[in-house]
Amino acid sequence: MDSFLLGLIAGSFVSIGAYSVLIGDNPLSKFTEHLYMGILGGFIFATNWNYVKTNAIIPVLQGNFVYIFAIILCVMLLSRLNTDWLWLSRYPVAVTVGAGLGLAIRTTVMSDFLGQINATILPLNSLDNILMVIGTVSAAAYFIFTAQTEGPYKYVNMTGRVFLLAAFGVTYGQTVSFRFELVIGRLVDMLRDEVAMYTYAMLLIIGVGLAYGYYTKKIKWYSGR
Amino acid sequence: MSLMDKLLDLDQRIIYAMLFIALAFPILHPIVLPMDIQAYSQESFDFADSIPDGSVVLIEGGLTAATYPQGGPGLEVQIVHMLRKDVKLVFFSIGTETAAWTVTAINNALARLPAGVAAENGVNWVHMGYVPGGESGTAAFANDIRSVKSEDHFGTPIDQIPLMNDINMASDFAAVFWWGGSEGSIPYGVRQIVTPFGVPMTGMCTTNEVPNYSPYINSGQLHGIIGGVRGSAEYEYLMSMPGLALGQAMATNFGGLLWAFLVVLGNVLYFIARREGGNK
Repeated sequence: MDSFLLGLIAGSFVSIGAYSVLIGDNPLSKFTEHLYMGILGGFIFATNWNYVKTNAIIPVLQGNFVYIFAIILCVMLLSRLNTDWLWLSRYPVAVTVGAGLGLAIRTTVMSDFLGQINATILPLNSLDNILMVIGTVSAAAYFIFTAQTEGPYKYVNMTGRVFLLAAFGVTYGQTVSFRFELVIGRLVDMLRDEVAMYTYAMLLIIGVGLAYGYYTKKIKWYSGR
Repeated sequence: MSLMDKLLDLDQRIIYAMLFIALAFPILHPIVLPMDIQAYSQESFDFADSIPDGSVVLIEGGLTAATYPQGGPGLEVQIVHMLRKDVKLVFFSIGTETAAWTVTAINNALARLPAGVAAENGVNWVHMGYVPGGESGTAAFANDIRSVKSEDHFGTPIDQIPLMNDINMASDFAAVFWWGGSEGSIPYGVRQIVTPFGVPMTGMCTTNEVPNYSPYINSGQLHGIIGGVRGSAEYEYLMSMPGLALGQAMATNFGGLLWAFLVVLGNVLYFIARREGGNK
């Protein structure tokens, strides 16, 4: 059996384990969860370690001592592992957040503020443009919480709410579709001709195991709706 | 308990089982429903197609194990699309896992390339690998690639990569393709590459993130977007390279139809129950 097929079978097993949480919390779903977190944690640590080694440790060994500060900040981040030294990790976090914020704010005004205002100032010569202008203005006006919802503002507020609800509806629909796509992505691999037999067998074994666990009350049955 | 009460009290696990069947059925028995090309996908494809032959573009590969089935087929087809136009590709990823999946996309695309298309590592494409730091890392990479990367994903020193000879910052690229998946990172590209350097960009995100980024399209900061598996399927269709995404898009349609039916049914039953004075 080649490693690719083995990977697909393992992936199928882990996927079934992960989705078994839909029946209710059970040992298999917990095992899958911990396995995923462990592997991902290890992988992320190893990749980042490799990056630090290549871009900071090796340059320092070659005489570029400016990277010592980066290494010290990296080590300080690991102090979170000990509660007594946890305060030390706040300094690298502060540097990271500060640098990120500074870099983001630099262009946020242009891209997320002025750019969006410009995109809303449109000629009212098509239904699309009219809806865009009315929707943006009324949705923004909805968040004026200091004004009483009476008089003409009441209608602006109501219009804004309609546009917001429509936007939430679209987002909800897209989110449902995204969740389907996640499942479908796994199903495509799980139901490949060369893997399907293993998938069905594992579904059966896990189904029987869980049924036995719930019947003997060794696994607590989730009774909520 | 009446049938209506039973339906309103339906155990969610029955709904999950119904959804599983609705999603698995079209995969086991492929069915093609009619599908239009969305305006955002067409705009993104046209933008990619308009890039002059021989240009160099930057691609952020942000797909993970979860999102690769949605965006991967589209990314693979886009790589084929660009290499066929002799466009040079520089990849990078702002995630550890995503850097590995970008390699998968490159390998799968190279396997689908027609014979005779040049696709040499280091000459026609290069994968610069993982760049940490999220938006800060993107900004540093955009300003001075050599300040954050001394070698590519496979360990080749950057100065030994012919494609990187004349490239060291975002303005050296003709365009950016940001395959952000569900990273939520498309604004990083807009803020750190499009706005300061004026490099045009298009991208891909998961379906749920499309509404978040549509304002960037309306403002011209983003040239269309490939949304989820349907966007990938449309790219495959426009390239006449049907693949995995097209089949998955059909399964999504089936799931969506069932979900819409359940939402309508739930609302109808709710209003009937309320009119009858029930406390549901």
